Amino acid sequence: MSILVDKNSRVLCQGITGTQATFHIRRSLDYGTNVVAGVTPGKGGNMHLGLPVFNTVKEAVAETGVNSSVMYVPARSVKGAVREAAEAGLELVVCIADGVPIRDMIEIKNILKGSQTKLIGPNTPGIITPGAARLGIFPENIHTPGRIGIVSRSSTLTYEAVVETKRAGMGQSTVIGLGDDMIFGMDFVDVLERFMKDDNTDAVVMIGALGGTFEENAAEYYRSLKHKKPIIGFVAGEAIPFGHKMGYAGDIITKGRISVQDKKDAMNAAGITVVNHINAIHEKLQELAVPAGLKK
Amino acid sequence: MNIHEYQAKKILSQYGINIPKGGIAYTPSEAKSVAARVSFRGPWMLKSQIQSGARNRGHFLEKEAGKAGGIRLVKHRREIAREAEKMLGSTLVTEQTGPKGKLVSRLYVEAFCKVSRIFYAGLVIDRMIPAVTLLIAEVSTENITGVALEHPEKILKIQLDLDKGASPAQIQEVMAFLKLKPRSAASLENFINGMHKAFKDYDATMIEVTPVGVMRNGGLIALDAKMSFDKNALYRHPEIRRLEDEYEEDDYEIQANKYGFNYSEFDGNIGCIVNGDGIALAAMDLLRSKGVGTACFLNVKGGVDKEKIASGIKIIMTNPRVEGILINILGGFLRCNLIAEGIISAAYDVGLNVPLVVRFEGTNKDEAKEILEHSKLPLVIANDMQEAVDTLIKAVEESD
Repeated sequence: MSILVDKNSRVLCQGITGTQATFHIRRSLDYGTNVVAGVTPGKGGNMHLGLPVFNTVKEAVAETGVNSSVMYVPARSVKGAVREAAEAGLELVVCIADGVPIRDMIEIKNILKGSQTKLIGPNTPGIITPGAARLGIFPENIHTPGRIGIVSRSSTLTYEAVVETKRAGMGQSTVIGLGDDMIFGMDFVDVLERFMKDDNTDAVVMIGALGGTFEENAAEYYRSLKHKKPIIGFVAGEAIPFGHKMGYAGDIITKGRISVQDKKDAMNAAGITVVNHINAIHEKLQELAVPAGLKK
Repeated sequence: MNIHEYQAKKILSQYGINIPKGGIAYTPSEAKSVAARVSFRGPWMLKSQIQSGARNRGHFLEKEAGKAGGIRLVKHRREIAREAEKMLGSTLVTEQTGPKGKLVSRLYVEAFCKVSRIFYAGLVIDRMIPAVTLLIAEVSTENITGVALEHPEKILKIQLDLDKGASPAQIQEVMAFLKLKPRSAASLENFINGMHKAFKDYDATMIEVTPVGVMRNGGLIALDAKMSFDKNALYRHPEIRRLEDEYEEDDYEIQANKYGFNYSEFDGNIGCIVNGDGIALAAMDLLRSKGVGTACFLNVKGGVDKEKIASGIKIIMTNPRVEGILINILGGFLRCNLIAEGIISAAYDVGLNVPLVVRFEGTNKDEAKEILEHSKLPLVIANDMQEAVDTLIKAVEESD
């Protein structure tokens, strides 16, 4: 069922004694997420929210067998925290912090290349498998278990996509925010590969954003598939004039002119159903519903 | 965050990169004395220090400033003060400043440096790898963006190792691409690795030297320089943060940044208040599809401070170009009721004189709606973005 996280995930919280972490871990526990331990350097040996706190991720792994982590540490501590999680061999790390320096992200990506650890984020609402596990800051009340996978580069539009599935009378298998930053961990291809193989996902909603060629790469991957599940795609930003600072100057020089329309064209050409307004998603989902057997 | 040319040059020179002798002048008499210090005979360059490219091709708004651009070559000593007088206190308009232009309050006075040829060298981040990427191009103008769009094959792109910088083989690749003479090799290596080290040490997001000059002895010299820095890493570089020139940023933007929000301006007439860039873009796209433009948007992100949110909303309410306001909030970390309270407090302080449509979804949305309904403010609450946009457009048309 679902991808990356479910009822069986053994979740660690890095930075568990912080205010934000306390607020959200309590909600995640209430939601039924299997959070089993926390880490805060210097606070090992204590209990917090009824969970054992360790000084290091390695100790937490050895004592409790955690395999995933959600971290609410501040931006400047992210690099060290991800390194620690990767060295301890965790499978998944979800990083919520906003404002991680770009150089730190380049270093983090280099660290992850040599490890089995997958990173979601930073600057993301996280990942939620409705009814099973919540790692992040999602407003859990808008989600319902179902068979639509959602993956988005925009945090706020992730919520909008969830609302669209609800309007279509459907629920979600797993919802993932890739993060709003310039450099982030897992990308569309990493997530789509998993959705395509997941028995509990029948179709995917994918939300792109300005900058980079992540959507083009996803389209290329989708085109190469023999067996595909339908994808409904949306990319925001058509109204932004080309060259506005909201895009990224380095992108123009390294990648040439990449407009929102180019991204949509690439997705369309690969067989992804592209909508022009985010509120058109529910209609497309309903159109797909019968052939793909989506109705719950 | 950007800095001025002379500041960027100073940083690069600390990394062993050659720069022409120069100094900063705020008055015509200072310009004269700096000129005497940097070169006995001249000629000299007078360079307007505003944060914009294409200063040379720009023009001054004031007639008295003369027809020449923002960068001037002066051959005779007696002309320095006169030329400086024209430029200082005048408003320079370039392709990048917008029609309002920017006030020139200081000049960088440099010894003119004769070079046999020029090229472009830049460092940016290629986010897809991700890595620091060196860009080299043979260009006669400073317009690298134009080259990137029209002739991308004319730009050499090389990924650099974050720790080690350019390898000897990569330096050779640049030598061959530019067909530089062997006597430039040592200077090139020094130049590129100096740029890379400055980039890494200061958490830069971009360094551009447009152009690099090749001197008669084969040595390289930075004739112009531009550096941008990662705002999120400024805490590591207080010395760079001090260089921030508030005059260079939009007033509204500075205000919004103070509260921790993002603000962007466009040329339409609808003000948007949102809590994410994605939702802002989606709203703008929707408005545009109905033929309506966005004046500005404010992204309050995950704001939790009621006072700050109210102050942010006031920025939009008091913008004279705004003829209608769209508030579209998808509460997650951010609670909708805080926005509702912010709207009331801002409207109370500055008055609500234009149509306002609000749409809430997510955390505490019912509470937020109730607060607004009790406020008796003349606003409309919509159920989704489509409805919000349609309602607002109609209200703006009717209020005309």
